[in-house]
Amino acid sequence: MILKVNNLRKEVSSGDSSLVILDDVSFSLEEGQSLAITGPSGSGKSTLLGLLAGLDSASSGTIFLDNIPIHDQDEEERALIRKEKVGFVFQSFELLPSLTALENVMLPSELKSEADPKSNAEFFLERVGLKDRQHHYPNQLSGGEQQRVAIARAFACSSKILFADEPTGNLDSKNGKLISDLLFEVNSETDNALVVVTHDHDLAKKCDKTISLQLGKIVE
Amino acid sequence: MLLGLSIKLIIREIRSGYLTSMLVSLTLAITIVSGISLFTDRLEQALSTQTEEFLGGNLKFESNKNKLQPLLKDLEIKDSQFMEMALFASVIFSNEEMQLSSVKAVDNSYPLIGLLELENSEGVYLTKSNPKPGTVWMDERLQNLLKVKYGDEVYIGDKSFIFTDTINYEPDRASGNFSFAPKTIMNMSDLESTQIIQPGSRVEYNYLFAGPENEILYIRNFLEEIKESGDEIEMLDEDSSSLGRAVDRSENFFLLGGLIAVLLSACTISIASQRFTRRHISYVAILKTLGMKTLHIRALYFLIFFYTIILTLIFGLFFGWLLQNNFINIMSSYFPTELPAPGLYPLVVTCLTAFICQFGFIYPHILKLLSISPMRVLKDDIGLNQGSISVISAGLLAFFVLLYLYTNQITLSLIIFLGVISFSFVGIGSIYLLLGRKNLGLGASNAFNLALSELRRRKLGNSFQIFAFTVAIGLSLITFSASKNLLGSWQNSIPEDASNNFAINITKEDKDQMGLFLKENNIKSTTFFPVANASIARIEDDEEIQIDRNFNITWIYNLPEQNQILEGEWFSGENRNGISISNEIAERYDLRVGDLVYLKVEDKEIKTFVQSTRTVNWDNFSPNFFVIGHPSLFEDIPSTFITSFYIPKEKQEIAAELMREFRTVSVFSIEELIKQVKEIIDQVTKALNSILLLTCLSAIFLALSALQDGFSVRRHQSAILRTLGASNSLIKNSSLIEFALLGLISGILGALMSYSGVYFIETKVFQATANFYPELFILGPSIGLIVVSGLCFYLINGIVKKSPKELFT
Ligand SMILES: Nc1ncnc2c1ncn2[C@@H]1O[C@H](COP(=O)(O)OP(=O)(O)OP(=O)(O)O)[C@@H](O)[C@H]1O
Ligand SMILES: [Mg+2]
Repeated sequence: MILKVNNLRKEVSSGDSSLVILDDVSFSLEEGQSLAITGPSGSGKSTLLGLLAGLDSASSGTIFLDNIPIHDQDEEERALIRKEKVGFVFQSFELLPSLTALENVMLPSELKSEADPKSNAEFFLERVGLKDRQHHYPNQLSGGEQQRVAIARAFACSSKILFADEPTGNLDSKNGKLISDLLFEVNSETDNALVVVTHDHDLAKKCDKTISLQLGKIVE
Repeated sequence: MLLGLSIKLIIREIRSGYLTSMLVSLTLAITIVSGISLFTDRLEQALSTQTEEFLGGNLKFESNKNKLQPLLKDLEIKDSQFMEMALFASVIFSNEEMQLSSVKAVDNSYPLIGLLELENSEGVYLTKSNPKPGTVWMDERLQNLLKVKYGDEVYIGDKSFIFTDTINYEPDRASGNFSFAPKTIMNMSDLESTQIIQPGSRVEYNYLFAGPENEILYIRNFLEEIKESGDEIEMLDEDSSSLGRAVDRSENFFLLGGLIAVLLSACTISIASQRFTRRHISYVAILKTLGMKTLHIRALYFLIFFYTIILTLIFGLFFGWLLQNNFINIMSSYFPTELPAPGLYPLVVTCLTAFICQFGFIYPHILKLLSISPMRVLKDDIGLNQGSISVISAGLLAFFVLLYLYTNQITLSLIIFLGVISFSFVGIGSIYLLLGRKNLGLGASNAFNLALSELRRRKLGNSFQIFAFTVAIGLSLITFSASKNLLGSWQNSIPEDASNNFAINITKEDKDQMGLFLKENNIKSTTFFPVANASIARIEDDEEIQIDRNFNITWIYNLPEQNQILEGEWFSGENRNGISISNEIAERYDLRVGDLVYLKVEDKEIKTFVQSTRTVNWDNFSPNFFVIGHPSLFEDIPSTFITSFYIPKEKQEIAAELMREFRTVSVFSIEELIKQVKEIIDQVTKALNSILLLTCLSAIFLALSALQDGFSVRRHQSAILRTLGASNSLIKNSSLIEFALLGLISGILGALMSYSGVYFIETKVFQATANFYPELFILGPSIGLIVVSGLCFYLINGIVKKSPKELFT
């Protein structure tokens, strides 16, 4: 089991009132499987994804990522897990503006002190079809191109599980299909698990499992 | 609507804390400027009253002849007062003793300015009158020497007088050649009956004027016309007393401190407004897409701009007032009475500073901001060219105007301006080259590589950051060094055993005996300098150009201590030798090394040449001479001698003994003057320390805002690195290494900058000799290293404690 979630709850307090964003979320995912998280805007999808990837800590509940209880770990330990096992594609890309596309994709390998970050990065940039744009900076790329760089960066993590927050949300349907095909292709090639937040029904249908959120709760 | 929106906007800005550094540093600048200018203004007013007192009036005419009286009817004086006095030396007899004294005969207008403090059997009192006819006042020393009590009779020339009061304090201490000699004051109307003034006797007539400036200038012109060789006109601003110089110097220190604080604040303000505009780019773009007219947007930001001026002015002036109050408290012992209320000038300077800062460092950014295209809403990578020519030149212009405002000297401002510009140019340029080319990738595998690649990647930003740190460190060090070394050397220029007594009128016969007397009593004295009065004429193409004043000249073989040859050479053993003149005289009378001159001494005329020019330390309280000649030139010139020596407090009676032993010698004490100058130095030091503190505060603000500016980018980057699994220590260490390096480089540059600054200040502003201060080169780098990495540690800790999720929002 790559992911096992039990009674997950996230509460934020703003001022004196507190807001429950996620409540009683439980599910599990086998290795190599793919999961789609759907639901209306504001239902807590991004929050859940962040928790699963260990970018944030939950108010209560447990998360086992590759059998490691990340809910029990501190930021430093979770960073180590992220380095080893997690890839992440943000809804808003989050590329480093001062690095070229290539350098952005090299970043995970550099952090792992891998032998040849460059050729690894070039390989994945080629996979997302941006080999000829590798020396461009993010602000020289369109939204969709930046999204593809972000995906290449996540692939370059060679992780056991890849989280993607609306990876096709910024793309037209043709490019969207291209990207989602790519995601599943790499997913099946490397046998890693995939968790995508999406509004795209086609994409959701391709996944082995789907959970749907509404007001922070899973609905069937 | 605009008004409401603008108020809302500024309140939000203040609340969010983004405006804090701008507001604080502007307030700090205004505080320092208003504090210092309020204080120096009041100080100056108080001191000019004091120097007026010292001179005895606003204008003084000195002559050896009583010639002004008949001419005065031609002078139409409306609003000024006038007085006349005669000064001469005379032996005064009591029933038991006799003593040479300097006598001052004054008319009924005495004293023109200030009050006398007298003492008689009824006690101490203040007065504004002259002695009644038939009475004299004497100082305590003379009273003791003559062994007289109140009511006793004394004789001056043919007339007898009743001694009625002791002079504790007389305002016009500058009057007379040797005004510190044992002193007698008598009424002018008694002068004739003493029969002392005979044709040929040496008397100096002083005419003093006090009144409004324009009339004084008119009188001055009148006097210039009737002035003959040997006459002298003195005006207040030409005061060259030790006290005057001490005050001048302290004012220079204050202005320097103020200028530095303002420059530091200006840099901070510049950085802060850059950040302000960057954050407002989307705001303006959105307002534009929502259809708000550019005119209205401009009005909106102009209002915000206006509020910051008002806010900072109110707070700055308030704190500035507190600051100057604090200064005045520190120096209160020096000013027994209330200081005069400040004039308008400090307020003008403060407001001008605030406006120059605003228009030079904030307004151009806002103008730039207004030019943003609404496209920005769609594409958030449309940035502002913040380093554009117009913004930079506005900043530079403001910088120059500030310099000029504070120094009031166009050349000095230009020198500092160009110095700073070229320094930063070279500094930034060399850093740019030093950092070298960037490599591919971020080098995130280890902390050192990451730090290095970061340094290279953000070369331009880093260069400016280094520039900011360098300015902060350099300017603080200059202030520190100025307060410590310059004041220190100034303090040391008055050593504990600085001469506190002068002896003049020493005859050739008395000279050796007096030397022996001093030696027997263990009193250290300077050389016995021969003195003679000389006039100088410059010879140019066989024509004599007379210099319109006389000098006390001396002749010796060795260069006096604390004199330094500027041009030419000091006398050599055998060669043809001439005279050495002070650089002031050389400048004022256009005399150069090699010029031929005639010296007229007594009835002799000596043809010689200017062999050297030299600097004279007028503050060392020993005999100083504008003109020194080689002894071979003066072999048969009759002269008296002058010397100075230090008599410790517990041996004061030696002075009286000396005077009794050598009747014709005049001994006077300058103890009071030394005490006064020392006190000023002490108090200035204290006041300057508070300025130093404020300067350091401004410097830290500058460093902090320069750091913060880079940290918003760093925050985002760390969030991404952390998402990708970078450890805390990687981020922390790499930042620390990076900033330690930045700090170190800035520290070294700052030390260099402060060294050149101090060198410049010492040689050009204070006209002293430059010293090497090794501690600057230890302090600079270590302060840079510790402060910058300390601030970085504080900021980075705020980042690594947070989860990536928190950092993204
Ligand atoms: N730090 C926070 N403080 C307050 N509210 C928050 C915080 N983070 C998220 N929320 C709220 O929690 C809810 C869920 O947010 P989340 O970003 O997970 O939604 P989402 O399902 O991803 O929506 P979308 O499809 O629009 O991306 C939203 O109502 C959001 O406003
Ligand atoms: Mg979302």
